[in-house]
Amino acid sequence: MSVTIGILCCHYTNQAGEEDFRLIPGTVIVKRYPCSGHIEVVDILKTFEEGAEAVLVAGCEKESCHNLSGSSRAEKKVLGARKILEEIGLEGERVRFAFLPRLDTGPFMAEVKKTFETALKMKSKS
Amino acid sequence: MIIAERKPIPKILRAIEPYERVLVLGCRGCVAICSAGGDREVEPVAAALRLARKRSGRPLTTGEATLIRQCDPEYLAPLREMAQDYEAVVSLACGVGVNLIADLFPEIRVYPGVDTTFYGANPALGEWQEKCRGCGDCILDITAGLCPIARCAKNLLNGPCGGSQGGRCEIRPEVPCVWHQIYERLSERGELERLMKFFPAKDWRPAGHGGPRQRKREDLQLG
Repeated sequence: MSVTIGILCCHYTNQAGEEDFRLIPGTVIVKRYPCSGHIEVVDILKTFEEGAEAVLVAGCEKESCHNLSGSSRAEKKVLGARKILEEIGLEGERVRFAFLPRLDTGPFMAEVKKTFETALKMKSKS
Repeated sequence: MIIAERKPIPKILRAIEPYERVLVLGCRGCVAICSAGGDREVEPVAAALRLARKRSGRPLTTGEATLIRQCDPEYLAPLREMAQDYEAVVSLACGVGVNLIADLFPEIRVYPGVDTTFYGANPALGEWQEKCRGCGDCILDITAGLCPIARCAKNLLNGPCGGSQGGRCEIRPEVPCVWHQIYERLSERGELERLMKFFPAKDWRPAGHGGPRQRKREDLQLG
């Protein structure tokens, strides 16, 4: 069973490279942004169109976003995407948001793994 | 401005069910300002439609475009050519835009992507409030600029009603009673006598009860 997940993240949430994503037994679509505040609902939906079963949006912890409110905005975009997913009959939990410490790959990869678990769950249901 | 709200995606999907190629058409007028149908809304609506159709096994191809306005023929003129590659158009403009497309281009199958709701203001980010109902017989000169037609749940012309409690409306307590506000405002100004005058029963014909309304200014018309 091939499973794809999407990761839309602020560039400053991690320094993960190919070797980190290789630990995930599926396809990982990674899209990096200069700030998670740039991530729009459509970016999340397009990642699902590209085949992702679940999507993680990752932004910096609220007090460390260098654009002040970028990650808070991203969190709200996730709610917007979730609403649309539910309207079209997909589970809202397919899209997750995580506030992460800056440039700390450990917590980031933990969220990636959780997203993969969500994707597995969704794939097995469908 | 005219306020609108995106229709639920399943409703749009039902309207375009027979088609495989659809143009999602935004408008940079009021619906862009109220975040219902401008450039920023065209993309997610199109993506949601494609995603839903892909998962149902009937992929949809979408075109995405936004016009300066959909309520003026000159801005709609390019649509005839733009729509040629598509079987239908989902317009994210208010009902005026959808109607004008239907009037000007009978060959184009146009479907609304938003519900047109009211004339409103944008007092805070992400919030719109009704302020005017376009009744065509404005009485704001009597009511200190506060409209009881749009802002009173009962459209009263002689409020407040008995349900006004502590300056709040009985229908929705989070809404201020506009008649209470009118009274307070005029009272502060020493102008309560404005409410003491008798005025004839409101003429509702200009509100649309006399059929579709139109306005003409001959000095602006050509020919």
